[in-house]
Amino acid sequence: MAVFFSIALLVITLFSLPAAALSTEVAHLRPSLSIYLDNKGVGLRHPEGVACSGSTLVVGDTENGRLVRYTIEGKSVKGGTEIKIPQLGSPTRVQIDSKGDIFALDGKERRIVHLGPDGAFKGYVAAEGAPSQSSLVPRSFKIGPDDALYILDVFSGRVLVVGADGKYQRQIDFPADYGFFSDVAVDAKGTVIVVDSIRATVWAAVGKATTFSPLGRPVKEYMTFPASLAADRRGIIYITDEYGGDVGILARDGSFLGKQLGMGWNEGLLSFPTQICVDDQEEVFIADRGNSRVQVFTLAK
Amino acid sequence: MKVRLVFGCVLVLMLLLAHSAGYAQTQNKFKLKPDAGGKGCLNCHDNFKDVLKRQFVHTPVKTGQCTGCHDPHTSSHGKLLEDDPSKICLKCHGAVIPEKARSVHKVVLEGNCVKCHDPHGAANKSNLLKAGNALCFDCHKEMGAKLDKVKFKHNPVERGCVTCHDPHASVKSDHLLRSDTTALCLGCHKASNPIFAKQHMGYPVATARCTQCHDPHGSNRGGILFDNVHSPVEKKMCTQCHEAPTSATPFKTKKTGFELCRGCHSKMMGETFNKRYVHWALLDKRGCLNCHQAHASANKFLLNGDSKTICGKCHGDTVAVQQKLAERERQEDAAMKGQGQPIKGALTHKPVQEGTCEACHSPHASDSTLLLKQPSVVDLCGTCHDWLKHSSHPMGEKTLDPRNKNLTVDCLSCHRSHGTGYRHLIPFPTETNLCTQCHTQFRR
Repeated sequence: MAVFFSIALLVITLFSLPAAALSTEVAHLRPSLSIYLDNKGVGLRHPEGVACSGSTLVVGDTENGRLVRYTIEGKSVKGGTEIKIPQLGSPTRVQIDSKGDIFALDGKERRIVHLGPDGAFKGYVAAEGAPSQSSLVPRSFKIGPDDALYILDVFSGRVLVVGADGKYQRQIDFPADYGFFSDVAVDAKGTVIVVDSIRATVWAAVGKATTFSPLGRPVKEYMTFPASLAADRRGIIYITDEYGGDVGILARDGSFLGKQLGMGWNEGLLSFPTQICVDDQEEVFIADRGNSRVQVFTLAK
Repeated sequence: MKVRLVFGCVLVLMLLLAHSAGYAQTQNKFKLKPDAGGKGCLNCHDNFKDVLKRQFVHTPVKTGQCTGCHDPHTSSHGKLLEDDPSKICLKCHGAVIPEKARSVHKVVLEGNCVKCHDPHGAANKSNLLKAGNALCFDCHKEMGAKLDKVKFKHNPVERGCVTCHDPHASVKSDHLLRSDTTALCLGCHKASNPIFAKQHMGYPVATARCTQCHDPHGSNRGGILFDNVHSPVEKKMCTQCHEAPTSATPFKTKKTGFELCRGCHSKMMGETFNKRYVHWALLDKRGCLNCHQAHASANKFLLNGDSKTICGKCHGDTVAVQQKLAERERQEDAAMKGQGQPIKGALTHKPVQEGTCEACHSPHASDSTLLLKQPSVVDLCGTCHDWLKHSSHPMGEKTLDPRNKNLTVDCLSCHRSHGTGYRHLIPFPTETNLCTQCHTQFRR
């Protein structure tokens, strides 16, 4: 009889658990390594951008006005070739497309620069055919699974979707009431996610939606100024908190799963972190701006 | 038949008399004296006779119902009040806070009615402690001082704050206004008046918000415009920014965001956009209007308020943390002072606490990260903390941080300027914890 009741209780407990909790294994960010220098021994200086794709890691070394390309080999990072072009003086956000082309946002000039895999300048992203094209002020951008660019245009209050051919595809308008959107991400299913730093709220546009809807509740009680976000292949969202110096983790439905790391100088701690990138190997790269380095973490379950 | 009817009536009458006698007996089962409800109180509280002579006396006091508010025997509240002082008035005057109030006076919300009213009696209507605006200016001192000095006064203010504000609550507007700002103004200032139209360059301002340009309390400028007026407004050159008044969308601006302001402020914009880091607030849809007023303002540079208010709108966490730290600092300092052991070091940083964010940050743009005003943190801190330039721990570009080869030692290597919760703004509970971060040989 007691056994029957125990089994019944277990079954009831399992069924009463939220679906999100079952589908989400909360991963821990385990410090793996830190990157301080390029291959000539020159130190990074307040890097704000980091992009990871396959075996390539590109760092937007902002105050040095350059990109630095590394190669990821297993659990180590090699290389550190400097890419310095006159068209890109202040790289603040970086992305790599499926062909290995590099895209970088110049925070000073507020335009997206397109470079080949070898670092050669290929042009500027023009968003050809986009409405109010002259008023485009990109705060951030991401490259989606189809190589389309998702540009967070803070001036016109929208996310512009520009195809790999540089032509305008569509736009997703910001909601009517918001604080300030700092970053955009696209998950594996194509859902576009944006983060409002002031209200600590995450919004999402699923499928071909033309506007954003709130994703879960605001995370203000956990995060002070969420500034950058990335989604892993399961749709788990990682958000750097610029003032808090930590990383908040959200389930696909926006429910808050916890926050990790903290503010500090030692490896494994962050100081004013900016861009975050999660690769297919479940390694997390964070531009640790205040500490002038890039930190690599492994997602440990 | 007649006898039966008379008998029945007598019986009913007797029953009624018996019932009323019993009722009366139950009502005064404590054998209270006829004046026990209040008038008897004056036998001891003799000085209350003067209160009753006042021009305006609270109805329960006037009708001798002291027990309406006080318990004659015991109470858990001061002055033998029947209920919590913050709730007792609302028992009868609950309607002062309407259900759907858009704004409620703080003292009303707190139930602090005695801040304005004498619960027994006063020389002023509604038992107010003082007559007219003097009562309001007891708390709103800054407003009172300002109105004493302003050159151009607004007549309704002279007549009394209550002309526009409901002292308790408003269901129609913020700031306790009796109705929406524009509707309130139009109550006196008729938009159909040709002089009114001419003054406003023919723009249909009856649909706009008057307080964008006018200070409703009075100012030092004609037309009670705010003291600081944007040059095109002053010159009545509205079309410099807006479409013509005859347009279908007369208030629409010719451009949006910073692009509109760049037309005149090109030099400032040029300098701003030449910096490595631009404050992103400047670049969104609202642009300059995130911090500045377009028409007129009570603040210099047409700012929307003081720095704490403006910066706190987006960076509220920094302001909130500083307020919490300031309160903790005050409590800890008071406690330790009582023990004769003053605590060294502050929990707060004065510029953050005072809201002078611009002491360290450039609000528009900077070549330094975090929009710091100077490239060197040591130089920046040294503008106030001069001593650190000549007697301090080795710092500067030549002193590498042993924890990180890409960092040099500066003030922020040991302190966090917005506070940490520890004294001297250090990020660790003790100085030993801090120093041994680098001087690892001394770790225990």
